[in-house]
Amino acid sequence: MPGRSQEDLARFVEQMWDKLDQLSYFDLLGLHTGATVTEIRAAFYRVSHDLHPDRYHRIDNREMKDRLETIYARMCEGYRVLTTPEKRNSYMRLLGEGKKRLTSTDREPRGPQRPEDSIKHEEAKKFFRLGMISLGSKDYKGAAMNFNFAKSFEPNSAVIKQKLAEAQAGLGKPGGPGNR
Amino acid sequence: MSVIGIDLGTTNSVVATVRDGQVIVVPAAHGGYLHPSVVSFSPEGLKYFSREAVARRIVDPKNTVFSGKRLIGLSFRSKEVQKAMTRLPYDLREGNNEQAVFVGPDRTYTIPEVSGLLLGYLRQCAELYLGDTVTGAVITVPANFNDAQRRATIDAGRIAGLDVLRVLNEPTAAALAYGLGQNMSQRIAVFDFGGGTFDVTVLQVEGDVFEVLATGGDSFLGGDDMDTTLLNILAELFRAEHGIDPRNEQMAHARLLIAAEQVKCHLSDYSEARGELKNIAVSNTGEHLALRFHIARNVFETAIRGLVARTIQTTQEVLASVELGPSQIDEVIMVGGTTRVPLVRAEVERYFGRAPRVDLNPDEVVAWGAAIQAENLAHAGDSLANNAVLLDVTPRALGIAVTGGFAERILDRNVPVPVEQTRVFTTSADNQTTVRIQVCQGESRRFDENVPLGELELSGIPATRRGDVSIEVTFRVDTNGILRVRARDAATGAAREAAVNVRGGMSDSEVAEAVERQKSSEMPIDSSLLPEIEV
Ligand SMILES: Nc1ncnc2c1ncn2[C@@H]1O[C@H](COP(=O)(O)OP(=O)(O)OP(=O)(O)O)[C@@H](O)[C@H]1O
Ligand SMILES: [Mg+2]
Repeated sequence: MPGRSQEDLARFVEQMWDKLDQLSYFDLLGLHTGATVTEIRAAFYRVSHDLHPDRYHRIDNREMKDRLETIYARMCEGYRVLTTPEKRNSYMRLLGEGKKRLTSTDREPRGPQRPEDSIKHEEAKKFFRLGMISLGSKDYKGAAMNFNFAKSFEPNSAVIKQKLAEAQAGLGKPGGPGNR
Repeated sequence: MSVIGIDLGTTNSVVATVRDGQVIVVPAAHGGYLHPSVVSFSPEGLKYFSREAVARRIVDPKNTVFSGKRLIGLSFRSKEVQKAMTRLPYDLREGNNEQAVFVGPDRTYTIPEVSGLLLGYLRQCAELYLGDTVTGAVITVPANFNDAQRRATIDAGRIAGLDVLRVLNEPTAAALAYGLGQNMSQRIAVFDFGGGTFDVTVLQVEGDVFEVLATGGDSFLGGDDMDTTLLNILAELFRAEHGIDPRNEQMAHARLLIAAEQVKCHLSDYSEARGELKNIAVSNTGEHLALRFHIARNVFETAIRGLVARTIQTTQEVLASVELGPSQIDEVIMVGGTTRVPLVRAEVERYFGRAPRVDLNPDEVVAWGAAIQAENLAHAGDSLANNAVLLDVTPRALGIAVTGGFAERILDRNVPVPVEQTRVFTTSADNQTTVRIQVCQGESRRFDENVPLGELELSGIPATRRGDVSIEVTFRVDTNGILRVRARDAATGAAREAAVNVRGGMSDSEVAEAVERQKSSEMPIDSSLLPEIEV
């Protein structure tokens, strides 16, 4: 299917433009609110075939292109929100309050948020992240090593100390690493 | 009229096009398909390209620009440029708007101008080979290139007289070349280790849809770093024998660097490399000193282990960001010359628990994808276009400065493009009539830990108490990965839409001037060096 004709697209834009903010992500993607991730992905791939900006690359009506891109961007946004469990949960709550979009304002409050945000030294941060990855896969030895490196760059960071202690506690468990 | 795909590499560039549904790669002068990304300048204003320019790296290192991709789109004051300068034999200095400019023998050149010269040469090679004018091109960039680097690449294309149809992420291009028409359903990882950059990208391929799930990388990690490692080994051998450090002498340094690269490539196929370099230095007594070396592969491997480990760490982080483990990847595609290093292959295999695919030509696969996409865009909407859909993502989080030294994030990293988000801000002082919106990229909550991209000013705000004004700031990133910022005073409706004034970038008028200059000074290339098109 070689995309829609320019007239079709123009009609589509006209139809969508004014009501874009009244449509939920489900409306936009043509889904019911209980749709599974597989269904959401299939729907998104389907609209992408028609509406991805590559499809109308040669159309020279700038305003129409711009609007199409805005509409399609909203679909992309919906796809990402609905396929990310915690975002989908927040969105379902907003939808209950009559809101149609999960914007970044609806997200986390300002201030240090991820554990490494309070770490200042770049290297310390890097090793800290690696330590967190090791910790996640219960590789306590690797985690302790990385947190120790991190600590050597920023000895006074509370969060590094705390995570190092966690890794060491893991190491000390009977049965050794990876065996809880 | 033809369109082409260009893989504009740090070390080598590759040009391809689609003819009658088949991809063809444009041969390079003096053989092969890789055009070295080197431009050499003479005081008379002559330019040398490709292999001829490579030869001049030794005889005229000050006037021969290589690795321009490591500088493009970066501010002169950035730590990357400052660091690169300590290693580059040619001179850079600060130009307008914090740009890094190359001090040539006849005049100064901005980095997009240098790349533009190279792209112009590549366009001419394609035109000669195809016997047709080339109007448009898709140019590939590393997935983690930021807004400024992408803009600068587009400027370079324009200077070369090309209509830049798209800047396309290299791994996405590789995936397209790999999966198009195969009707597959696979999750793949593209492991791209080139001359100057490393990146890894995870994609879902479903028929003709190519969806990028996550991408990450290191724009300052590549085969060049292995060359530097080997150069140091060679230099130390020489110093141990003669007590002279050859790195202090420019010509010797340049020769050692070239030898280092040859040794590296040799060690990909053999377990040791031996050789002799004559006349590396002259002793106090006037004697010409040679460097004899014998380097075993395992010595080299020990020296580069740290570099290779960094690629695996990055790979692990990228997979972790989408909650995937190495065993959940169906196929690993190797791209870039550095993936020929046996240790790299071995470490990738060890990490993924499967042998990577090396049957696609790692040098050409990116250009193939670029050519396919160029054809697609040139035929968008008609029957010659295939139906491939490339779903790419933002490479970095983007935000703006707010009070307290914080950065307020507006767009997340790794979200599908195009993307548009609006946030509302207010003034921080009474009677403030102008706001300066400082844009940065990066994940940190603190502004100064991110990379500043540039700024935008909204003026004419009615004077009133602070906090009474609402300013809507909208960020949009398009499918080129280019950011557009719009600021609107909600009360008056006064809007200001502008490309962020990117630090280190060329202004529109500078680009227009460069386009004119190049048009009038372009010289035909010596066609006798190029092979004829095969029918
Ligand atoms: N046989 C080989 N063994 C080891 N390294 C090799 C081999 N062949 C090429 N290389 C290295 O590959 C690098 C060039 O790779 P490639 O052409 O893919 O990079 P590029 O596309 O120019 O760079 P980038 O993608 O980083 O912009 C150089 O560092 C080169 O020395
Ligand atoms: Mg490359």
